[in-house]
Amino acid sequence: MIEVKQLAKAFALSKNNKLSDTEKQDIRYSKEAFHSVREVSFNCGDGEVLGLLGPNGAGKTTTLRMLSTALKPDAGSVLLNGVDVLKHPVKARQQIGFLSADTGLYGKLTALENIAYFGRLHGMKEQALKQRIDELFTLLNMHDFANRRADNMSTGMKQKTAIARAVVHKPRVVILDEPTTGLDIMTVQTVLDFIKGLKQVGTPVIFSTHHLDEVASLCDRVVVIDKGISAFNGDIAEFTALSPNRDLREAFLSVLQPVAQTTIKTEQGVA
Amino acid sequence: MWQVYFKELTELMRDKKTLIFVILLPIFIFPVIFGVMGLVLSSTTNKAMNAEHRYVIVNAEQAPEFTEALFYHKNFKKVDSDLVEQDALAQAIRDDKFDVAIVIPADFASKRQHVEQATWQIIYNQSSQFDFMYRYFNELLTDYNEKLQRESLTKLNVDPVKLAAIIKPVAIEKQDTAAKRENIGEKFGALIAYILIPLCLLGASYPAIDMGAGEKERGTLETLLICPISRVSIVLGKFFTVLTTGLAGALITVASFGIWGAIIGSLAGMSVVEEAMSAISITELVLIFSLLLPISAVFAAILLAISIYARTFKEAQNYISPLTIIMFVPLVAAMMPGIELNAKTALIPIMNVALAIKELIKGTADYWMLALIFGSTIALAGIAIGFCVHWFQQEKVLFR
Repeated sequence: MIEVKQLAKAFALSKNNKLSDTEKQDIRYSKEAFHSVREVSFNCGDGEVLGLLGPNGAGKTTTLRMLSTALKPDAGSVLLNGVDVLKHPVKARQQIGFLSADTGLYGKLTALENIAYFGRLHGMKEQALKQRIDELFTLLNMHDFANRRADNMSTGMKQKTAIARAVVHKPRVVILDEPTTGLDIMTVQTVLDFIKGLKQVGTPVIFSTHHLDEVASLCDRVVVIDKGISAFNGDIAEFTALSPNRDLREAFLSVLQPVAQTTIKTEQGVA
Repeated sequence: MWQVYFKELTELMRDKKTLIFVILLPIFIFPVIFGVMGLVLSSTTNKAMNAEHRYVIVNAEQAPEFTEALFYHKNFKKVDSDLVEQDALAQAIRDDKFDVAIVIPADFASKRQHVEQATWQIIYNQSSQFDFMYRYFNELLTDYNEKLQRESLTKLNVDPVKLAAIIKPVAIEKQDTAAKRENIGEKFGALIAYILIPLCLLGASYPAIDMGAGEKERGTLETLLICPISRVSIVLGKFFTVLTTGLAGALITVASFGIWGAIIGSLAGMSVVEEAMSAISITELVLIFSLLLPISAVFAAILLAISIYARTFKEAQNYISPLTIIMFVPLVAAMMPGIELNAKTALIPIMNVALAIKELIKGTADYWMLALIFGSTIALAGIAIGFCVHWFQQEKVLFR
């Protein structure tokens, strides 16, 4: 169970920073700070997959970083299975599995060592760690390259290793930041299968994406973030209902700020 | 913390670049320096000492005895020339027709008759580093002067027994209190520090970049930050790894210095090095190492802080290059003549360690001074580590 309430985060701007014209139009910029996330609230129950949508720069990554405790929110609260992330970050971290498309591996270490390192950092005992790694290797079909260094792996092997690394400590919540961006079709499938697997065992998953087909096939809930605000928060049926044609793209666009909407409409009119 | 440390160390051990900087460079830099410097220095000096100087002498007939002495000196070779004008002679020297011109005044013999002082001219290029030619010339001239003095004084009926005392009333006998080692230490001690200290920085800089900026660039930092381990542990784990490599570099360097010094010293013709090296005991090598320890910690903390701030490997390298240059300022200052270890210089970072290493090699180190340097550098290292830990907690540094 993940509960996010009124999350906000601003980044200080350096004094000499001159804003570009596009940036000036963004209401999140003030003289001193960039209010990346202003008010984001949502929740995700056990066994649910939540898709986080939004244009580039909307505040998705910042939100997920706050969920994963990498960043500290200015306001609001995050509860992971009842544990307050702000008050007990270390305890919360034990429950989180985090992965993004550009999460790297240590090139000089083998798949096994990469995974074991994070297992140990999560305080796992050697015996349990060994057992868990073996389990994951079988699950992800990784035995063939267990002792290969990450530098010499294919993208698919790397992503499998990264997945195994993210869940080695059996997290109770999994957070994925654009996990499929820039990956080839086969590797994307590995990631999607992995999310399905988590869903089956009842682990709540939050993932941000730009691919609406992934949302359609996986998500139970949808949250749309626009200019730092959770503009939509509901289940997939409610989201689809936003479009008369039951089209996810139209639904998504209808949630965004009026400015974007009008431009799209004009474009459609011309077409 | 140790999890981070051992993992970083494993990664570094598998990296060729680290091995080159930390192990190979220190092992081979000393034989190269000892060897090349020794050879170059001794061969150029020898060459300069044995060089033959082509000379032209104007109005030679005015001082036949001197001319003869010059003619038979093995380092001088007479060249015939009709030039007499000073400018023309200088030009001929510039044109490499000959190396030196000695101009004796045309009225020298008659001036001698009247016991008047005469001025000779010697024209040559004085920019050479080893001016052996003038030394030889001066020796001949001194002899000649003395000879003329004796002649003049004898003419004036001075007692021949007292001649020596009149010509040279004070004779000097030099006695050197400096041990040979002190002499060599003064010359080469600063140079040793000049090599050791940068090697500590060099050994630490690549791993430091890899562990901060490298981790950011590879996208592993974020994952590391959300592990249930405090950021202090992460920093300290990384810090100790950087320190280890820096020190491994220094340790290997000191050992290499000791071993190669002994080997090269035992070779024939390098007795100077041997004498200096035999006087440096294990205790002093250990002391040198223990001074390198805190300064390496300072380097490690600063490098790590820079590396964590940088977004990419390249950015980190750009920040570290000027740091390397800045570090050479106190090192060069320590090499300046007249700079000595005292309570003031003992408090200037880097320079104090360089001076202390020099003193240790000279064998004249003051242990209280060493303690002061050790203490002040440790304090500085503490501040640097504290800053590094604080720095690692800043979101604006980690997520730029």
